[in-house]
Amino acid sequence: MAAASDPSDLLYEVLQRVGDGFVELRYHGKRTRSVMVEQGRVDQAKIAEHSGVGVRVLADGTWGFASTDRLESGAVLRAVDAARRAAVSSAAARRERVSALPSVSLARGRFDAPGYDELAARPVEEALQLVLDAEARARGASTAVQSARASYAEVFEEKAVVTSDGAKAWTRLVRPEFSISAVAQGGGELQRAQESVGSTGAWDCLFGRHSAEAFAERAAGSAVDLLTARYPEGGRKRVILSPALVGLLTHEAIGHTVEADFVASGSCAAGKLGKRVGSELVTLCDSGVSEYAAGAGGTLFVDDEGVPAGRTEIIRQGVLTSYLHDRESAAAAGVAPTGNARAWEYDDEPLIRMRNTYIEPGESDLDAMIAGIDDGLILDGPRNGQADANGEFMFGTARAWPIRNGKRGELMRGVNISGIAFDVLASVDAVSRDFLWDLGSGHCGKGQPAKVDAGGPWLSCQVLVGGRNG
Amino acid sequence: MSVPANAGATAARTWDPAAAEASLRDDCAALVSRAASSGADQAEAFGVTSESISVCFEKGDLKLTQVDESRSFGVRVLRDQRLGFASSNQAAPVGSVDDALALAALCPPDEHHVLPEPRPLPERPSLVTPGATRFAIEDAVAAARDMVAAVRALDPRLSLDRADLDVTRSSLALVSSTGIAAAESDASVSLSLFGMAIDGDDVGGFDVAADFVRDPAELPAAVAAAVERFAAAALGNLGAGAGESYTGPVLFAPAAFQAVFLSPLIGALNAQAIQRGRSALAGRLGESLGSDLLTVVDDPSDRGLGGAASFDREGQPALPTTLVEAGVLAQVLHNAYSARVDGTTSTGHAMGGSRSVPGIGPHALVVSPGTGGSPDDLRAALGRGLVIQRFSGTVDPASGDFSGVAKSARWVEDGREVRPVRETLLQGNAFELLGRLAALSSMSESTMGRHRVPWALVDGVAVTAG
Repeated sequence: MAAASDPSDLLYEVLQRVGDGFVELRYHGKRTRSVMVEQGRVDQAKIAEHSGVGVRVLADGTWGFASTDRLESGAVLRAVDAARRAAVSSAAARRERVSALPSVSLARGRFDAPGYDELAARPVEEALQLVLDAEARARGASTAVQSARASYAEVFEEKAVVTSDGAKAWTRLVRPEFSISAVAQGGGELQRAQESVGSTGAWDCLFGRHSAEAFAERAAGSAVDLLTARYPEGGRKRVILSPALVGLLTHEAIGHTVEADFVASGSCAAGKLGKRVGSELVTLCDSGVSEYAAGAGGTLFVDDEGVPAGRTEIIRQGVLTSYLHDRESAAAAGVAPTGNARAWEYDDEPLIRMRNTYIEPGESDLDAMIAGIDDGLILDGPRNGQADANGEFMFGTARAWPIRNGKRGELMRGVNISGIAFDVLASVDAVSRDFLWDLGSGHCGKGQPAKVDAGGPWLSCQVLVGGRNG
Repeated sequence: MSVPANAGATAARTWDPAAAEASLRDDCAALVSRAASSGADQAEAFGVTSESISVCFEKGDLKLTQVDESRSFGVRVLRDQRLGFASSNQAAPVGSVDDALALAALCPPDEHHVLPEPRPLPERPSLVTPGATRFAIEDAVAAARDMVAAVRALDPRLSLDRADLDVTRSSLALVSSTGIAAAESDASVSLSLFGMAIDGDDVGGFDVAADFVRDPAELPAAVAAAVERFAAAALGNLGAGAGESYTGPVLFAPAAFQAVFLSPLIGALNAQAIQRGRSALAGRLGESLGSDLLTVVDDPSDRGLGGAASFDREGQPALPTTLVEAGVLAQVLHNAYSARVDGTTSTGHAMGGSRSVPGIGPHALVVSPGTGGSPDDLRAALGRGLVIQRFSGTVDPASGDFSGVAKSARWVEDGREVRPVRETLLQGNAFELLGRLAALSSMSESTMGRHRVPWALVDGVAVTAG
């Protein structure tokens, strides 16, 4: 697969011809190769390209946005005109005009994530064979398995961000994902289990923890085991969340409430900077860097406004220390932008989004944490999740194990859990010394998707468990 | 191509759907011809072109106005019963044909891969109204500004996180080597309100109201209704407290009923899910779900719903299809692939855009109203228990198990809502509980402009309160 060449110079030349005012040009090339197999049959074998230039203009104190799928000077110039006209023709509706963005440190240069060239050179038939083999492995793992489905996708992204106030950055990265699910039948019912993994990097990151075959066996094994598993009882319980669920907690329950646009709307994090919002055991961060372990799925060097995407400490030892900002919200707050402006594709506007969100590891031993609980649950296997402005969150779990008198019991079916974000953080009484990125196959939805990752250690806290026998 | 020479003049010039369809058809035909000459046994090209105006308000002020034009193609080829697909938004994407053929060469053969033959398409009035072709940036900005102002004027406690108004004009065309050549255009204005109410330290839960119209003349009424729905839900969420745990009847508003019950039901009626062993309703066609109250029709002829269309993603006619009749499972959803597996014809439910191989799904679901009266009558019938307006959780399409949070939930005593509740979880199995459907309201509501669904009183739901 041929990579696009760096168009930064072309975009920079266009910028010299567009007149005064802030203009941001963002080339975003996206090429996807994907396959999906179910029951030994190929349902999807696809190569897709979606590339172009998004243009954002600040005119009359108002933002305008337009795009072109042609990487040519003339087309980009016309898009600049279109964006400017959109801004000007709607400026009368803007009550508070945006003043010029303050000068900040912007990225310049070339940024290459590892794995791009390696995956680009890897023949697509290897991915197809991997998926065929994994699906067959899951389907053949037990006679109870009725159905299996495996998919693999790799998304090659190239971005050039050039702004009239100095950004000129070219980045390349690749994000592979692998997913496998199995449906088992028994006792007149179906149970489905899924394993998925995603990373920024090559297959050494993607399959560093488990091979595709191992994922297949785990999915099949879980589906079969869940057939005979019971539901936990509902109620408020002390639980130990796996690193994947800690990631979901940090993303859904905390991360969204500290996005500066949500804060401005009055999220439960508004007005809490400098205040205690959780146990002193909790330090929570969001980073464009893959901290602690390589290959986190939300890794990026530069955000879509040209701001370097570093590490932001949101909560330090239980005290709220920062929100997540784009350039406009940072300017309004009088702080530096945090590199969280992200757009899904070239024709999307940048929004404030998370990247890799996590709780830092603590000092506890997982076995000791289990031993310290008389009546509780261990929860693992993230499903979907959502959070509300008032801090109420919900997310699904795939598997549960009861803890009775410090002992881990037999597998139970997963449940949905809920809580009020900062109440749950305040209830944290132990954080393990482990660390894992484990949400790399996930996407965040906030008007447009975003590739994110999340993780952390094992964590003991109190949540509301939705049981079958309420 | 996103922005042509006259880009930005989206507001000024009039969109010509006939010209757009003709251009797309020509390009699709050229791609199919290229595929045939390159060795494809069968080929299909699907093209979409659209222009849009998006106006976004955040925190009550204009955030961004965006104009876009886009054009993309998806090419599906079959060679020796092997599948290949490629898509591109680049001009003249002949490379997609080569990519698709290269993939096809790698895939194992599957005797069920086949492109459908042409069938007569229903003749229906155009989905494009004259007003929609002329709706300009200034119109969109004014309508969005009025919508935001209406919320602001209603109650100072209302906090709009985001308000959007989007104008979309699109044309699509499908040409295949089996002789299908179909094209259609659509134009609509959609709106959404997303936010909450704040009263001092009391931050209410989020709620959302959304709708769409094809005729901009209907926009003021749609905006007024959405503002009223949003305000009622958001203000009603203030002061939420704990609910009560019980297992019993719950009253589901249309959006919640759709999420918890309709979604897995339609997923389980997907023919491929049945064929592949991941549907709990496999082998149950002709059987009753246990309650004769439920009738579900997929009706792509309903112009009031967003999914209205005259053909599906494979160019097959999109016709009204009764899926559940008086509680009895009547029909599964097929595309050409699943139909060939079962030795039947497609039901016209191939779904998807230009960037993927067609899947299977409904166009526009309509659940027949019942005889339960108004939502207030159903609250009276509930007597004591939970009313849920939205559901935020997990619904497993294979088993039907669901678990999640009741959003914008209210507690009912003596048949009347007495307080909002939060931190309340629901759990159950959708297929089992559809058999315990106790009543449906006598009227339906559009759910985000996509489906038409009544309120539903369902017994046997496990409710866990915090």
